[in-house]
Amino acid sequence: MIRIIGLTLLAAVAMGLYDPAADAAIPYDGYTRSLGYGDVHSINGYVYMDSIDGYDLESGPFKEPQDLFAADDGTLYVADTGNNRIVRLTRDRRVLGVIGDNEGPGMLNEPKGVFVKKDGLVYVADTKNQRIAVFGAKGDYVKSFPAPKSRLLGETFTYSPSKVIVDKRDYMLVISEGNTQGLIQIDAKGEFKGFFGANHIGFSWERLFVKMVATEEQKSQLAVQKPMEFSNVAQDADGFVYTTTLATETNQIKRLSPVGVDTLNPGSEVRYGSRFEAGPFQMPSFVGISVSPEGFITALDLQSSKVFQYDKLGNLLFAFGGMGEQNGLFKTPATVAQLQEGVIAVVDKGRSRIDFFRTTPFADLVHEASALYVEGRYEEAQQMWNEVLKLNGNFAMAYHAIGKALYKAERYEEAMRYFKLAKVKGDYSTAFREYRKQYTREHFAWIALIAIALLAALRFGLPRLVRGLKKLADARGGDRDLEAAGPAVPAAGKGESV
Amino acid sequence: MNTLLLMRLVIAHPIDFYFEIQNPRRIFWHQGFVLIALAFAIRMLSILMTGYAFETREPYEISWFYELVYILVPWLVYCIANWAVSAIMEGEGKFKEIFVGSAFALVPFILFSLPVTLLTNILSLEEADIVHTLTNLLFIWCGWLILIKIKILHDFELGKMLWIAVLTVISMAIVLFVGILLFGLINQFVSFVTDIFKEVRLRS
Repeated sequence: MIRIIGLTLLAAVAMGLYDPAADAAIPYDGYTRSLGYGDVHSINGYVYMDSIDGYDLESGPFKEPQDLFAADDGTLYVADTGNNRIVRLTRDRRVLGVIGDNEGPGMLNEPKGVFVKKDGLVYVADTKNQRIAVFGAKGDYVKSFPAPKSRLLGETFTYSPSKVIVDKRDYMLVISEGNTQGLIQIDAKGEFKGFFGANHIGFSWERLFVKMVATEEQKSQLAVQKPMEFSNVAQDADGFVYTTTLATETNQIKRLSPVGVDTLNPGSEVRYGSRFEAGPFQMPSFVGISVSPEGFITALDLQSSKVFQYDKLGNLLFAFGGMGEQNGLFKTPATVAQLQEGVIAVVDKGRSRIDFFRTTPFADLVHEASALYVEGRYEEAQQMWNEVLKLNGNFAMAYHAIGKALYKAERYEEAMRYFKLAKVKGDYSTAFREYRKQYTREHFAWIALIAIALLAALRFGLPRLVRGLKKLADARGGDRDLEAAGPAVPAAGKGESV
Repeated sequence: MNTLLLMRLVIAHPIDFYFEIQNPRRIFWHQGFVLIALAFAIRMLSILMTGYAFETREPYEISWFYELVYILVPWLVYCIANWAVSAIMEGEGKFKEIFVGSAFALVPFILFSLPVTLLTNILSLEEADIVHTLTNLLFIWCGWLILIKIKILHDFELGKMLWIAVLTVISMAIVLFVGILLFGLINQFVSFVTDIFKEVRLRS
């Protein structure tokens, strides 16, 4: 009897210790990109933590939320699109207040984007009302900016603001759905100030050919080629603007400088997103983007429902998420937001909830090393990268980084070895050049000697060898040569005949 | 030994060389095969010896079979196309001369591509232009030899030689096209016969 009670107690204790969330298998495989090998398995950088759907909040459940803004103090602003409101939550996820009046000018209609300025003003992309509404720090309606007016916008322009940010000049940068001309700049007075960072149509031989051959009638039948549309926008601490672009296979993520030039992929075509899974989709379509204070870019791809994290230079660090019903997978993810302490939130419109992901210790290590690395502090990062390699020998970036540290320490031969492991030929070659210099300096006497010997051999040895060969051939096949020489073409005419 | 001497002659005096090989019993069929085998061996060696920074392919992307095909097939197709075209255009060259003579046109590649490859081991990518220029020079040299060959073996004048060269390229394309077509058809035919065989065997 006592034994049974003991066993039951033990079982109860064991049950208490057992935490299903902690034990649940991660429903996605971690991977990283490796030059020359494609995508290789890696340790997951992010794991599912928890989610909020609003049911246990006093504001009630969310309905198709589409945006999330994390203020510097940790306050979360959820654009609860289906409920026509913005919900403000504290860091520990208690309701601070609800923005969006029941009547009057402060009434929202399917707001799809929210941005909070440093001074606490809340900018809401009030999509169906075709305006940007501004609220005070306490949620009181302040003013609104109606659709901008300008001849540049064109006659067919319809204003449907879905995302908004406010830059350091107090200009609003607005994404209007379906508009392909770029981000719309609106100043603090509400005046249109031009487009920012538009995508361009690249040159294509096919289009040139069609343009030259097709008649006016045929041209009017063709679909009009338009530049690609921006889908989301974010801003980092330095004021750089990050955008995601739809319907393109390359450079979907851009970092725009203050003059609108892409500084993330200068002069190159970078394929962001997944190549790991084969599917019916030709290309990823990024819909969400967020930048951490250290400069890590986290972007959300709707097609694979995966979240991709890149470092400041555009190297893939981690990928997580996916399509599905389990915790950690998404139904129709809308956007992604970087919160404090490395937590990443994904707004799942399809499931009307917000999922939170935390970093793994491996990710913390990689982040720390990578932050030092992109700043060029290779030596300090080296120890950490060694640690990373201990955990995961597949992490090609680590080899590259260690190689750079060794290069900086003028240990070129070792640097070459690491660059070879990372398969970066450019850096390998630079290290090799330095190594060659070092080697020549150390072994100059020998190299000079060998060079002289080689030259001498070429100058004196080779002609002698050739002569010897000829003599030998003459001795053996002289009769044949003599016979052949008879009917040969006269030597005099040979030169001029060509 | 004869082959070595001829190799020397084609490098030093290409025009003399192509007059020389028109003499009877001066060249042999096997020399063509030997030179192509040499070119293939040199090609494989230079792939092996290329410096790491200059390698554009991963080892698994390289196949000795394809390397052989890339040398052997163009050469055979060239010989056939050039012989056919020049025979129609009243060229004087015999097939044997074309066959062996065009193989000798590869001698610059055979002799000098290995030293150029060795250079990639002591040059960095910033100096890659040197390697590329030298490689291009080698190919231009080979092409030049082929043009001389067409001119002298068939006894053409300059304009006709260029015209024949263009025609040869076109007919090479045709030969390749027909070859690939035939290959596909034969493939289909063989699989058809084997299918019938299988069917009959399974049903009986």
